Amino acid sequence: MRRFLVLTKAILLVHLRERAQLFWNFAFPVFLLVIYAAVFGGDDLASFIAWMVPGIIATNILAFGLISSSTLITEMRTKGVLRRLQASPVPTAHLLGAYLLVNVLSCLLQLALIIVVATLFYGLRVPPANLALAAPWVVVAVLVAVVIGQAVSSVVGSAGAAVVIGQVLYFGQMFITDLIMPIQYMPAWVQRVGPWLPGYAIAQLVRPPLQEGVLSPELGTSLLLAAAYTLVAGLLAARFFKWEARA
Amino acid sequence: MSDLILEIDSVYAAYGRPRSLFTLGAGGAGRVEALRGVSLSVARGEIFGLLGPNGAGKSTLLACVEGLHQPEAGMVRVAGLPPAQAKGRLGVQLQKAALLDDLTVAELIEVYAALYNAFPSRAQIDDLLARFGLVEQRNRLARHLSGGQQQRVALAVALAADPEIVLLDEPTGALDPQARRVVWDLIRGLHDEGRTVLLTTHAMEEAEALCGRVAIIDQGRIMACGTPASIVAGLEVRPMLKALTELPLDQVRGLPGVHSVRYTGQHLEVETSEPQATLPALQALAARLGRTLGEISLRQPNLEDAFLRLTGRALTA
Repeated sequence: MRRFLVLTKAILLVHLRERAQLFWNFAFPVFLLVIYAAVFGGDDLASFIAWMVPGIIATNILAFGLISSSTLITEMRTKGVLRRLQASPVPTAHLLGAYLLVNVLSCLLQLALIIVVATLFYGLRVPPANLALAAPWVVVAVLVAVVIGQAVSSVVGSAGAAVVIGQVLYFGQMFITDLIMPIQYMPAWVQRVGPWLPGYAIAQLVRPPLQEGVLSPELGTSLLLAAAYTLVAGLLAARFFKWEARA
Repeated sequence: MSDLILEIDSVYAAYGRPRSLFTLGAGGAGRVEALRGVSLSVARGEIFGLLGPNGAGKSTLLACVEGLHQPEAGMVRVAGLPPAQAKGRLGVQLQKAALLDDLTVAELIEVYAALYNAFPSRAQIDDLLARFGLVEQRNRLARHLSGGQQQRVALAVALAADPEIVLLDEPTGALDPQARRVVWDLIRGLHDEGRTVLLTTHAMEEAEALCGRVAIIDQGRIMACGTPASIVAGLEVRPMLKALTELPLDQVRGLPGVHSVRYTGQHLEVETSEPQATLPALQALAARLGRTLGEISLRQPNLEDAFLRLTGRALTA
């Protein structure tokens, strides 16, 4: 257990000290919040913020999984750190567990920051009961996003290509899966396609409990969809995982 | 046989072509046979060197011992155990420093020790850092260290859990001569403590300076194994007399002790088993023909010559 804690602490420190990661994970969502509030806030800022903040949190989870988390693993692979870890007697399950735990902790910290900023500067009110209800679904959403990101990292040969594909998958879903743009105002084709994408499932897992203190009426569908994506991505990630960078 | 700590018997290893979705179907086309029947054993407390050029198979052999690469055939035993079960006994330094850049030196020691279920106290970490001359770098992030410092940290990390066997892959690879000698001293220190060290190098002088025994490895095969002196002696590689002169080769060939002669540029090179007899005879010949002998040097044979003799190629091409 002590070994697991030391390992988790080390990965968390690496994660929190990397400047690019800090910017994208912690500064960028706040920046998004400020921009969206300024541009779209209008007269009914309170209800806009109440809808937008869970969306930004869900968006951040998706970005974290597809870009940050997969980049961190890719860098550890490129620098030989994964191979060095493989040479140690630590079971792979411990490494994986510590890594996922750090991912979840980081996302919870990001969520806390976004909510604190929105509460202090935009009058957001999230009852503790909503937070408690949302917490397990946030964790599920993080795991879904991280596993999809790991599939990209494992399948795509080069680090550069993994980042590009991660970004394409992220930005592609950002606007069409009800994350930060209400899907009911989207063109008909988006309304048909969007709900089949993992971003939509993540939005459904996170937003209703945070915003309204209820579970989404589509929770079952969202969970099935998320489970299907996670299963396929998990199989791909495991099948093509490499401890060592390809020459 | 009980003092053998590493046993490697008839190991074959190969690397397939890297596979991704985009190269499916092409897998196997670039398969490389990295090891072709390698056997050797290392006794407890030895510094054993794997000497060979890049791509010879040294790192693959080390990876088989570290449990990072599964041989196609053959057997590897570390302290009597299969490598996967012996990882806890090994201190490993890979060719890349493989440090987490955003951890401090002390944090790196702590986390890599913990991987082996070792939890050194602050004082123990400080002792280790002092030994490797890293006290001032204790709280610096790895990304801010020089190449030599990173290499020393990688060595310190390899020792963080007090291993009985230390595996070092090109431990002085990219270091300047001064930093290299510091690392050599540290490696000798490991030997003095009774640890077994298996290292790879492509530097002949490193193998001669550090290793009690050496295996010369090329194209996945062990070409010779033994002490550096015994390898050189066993191959009958002879001293080389060199001089700037113009003498006819056929007359030089007839001098006492001479085995072979050639010119490289304007320098005459004479391979001789009796340099003390050959040199005066050479001087007498030059005097008789009215030629001069300049820049005379005598070079004793070394592992570099042994490698050339064994493989027909220079070690550091």
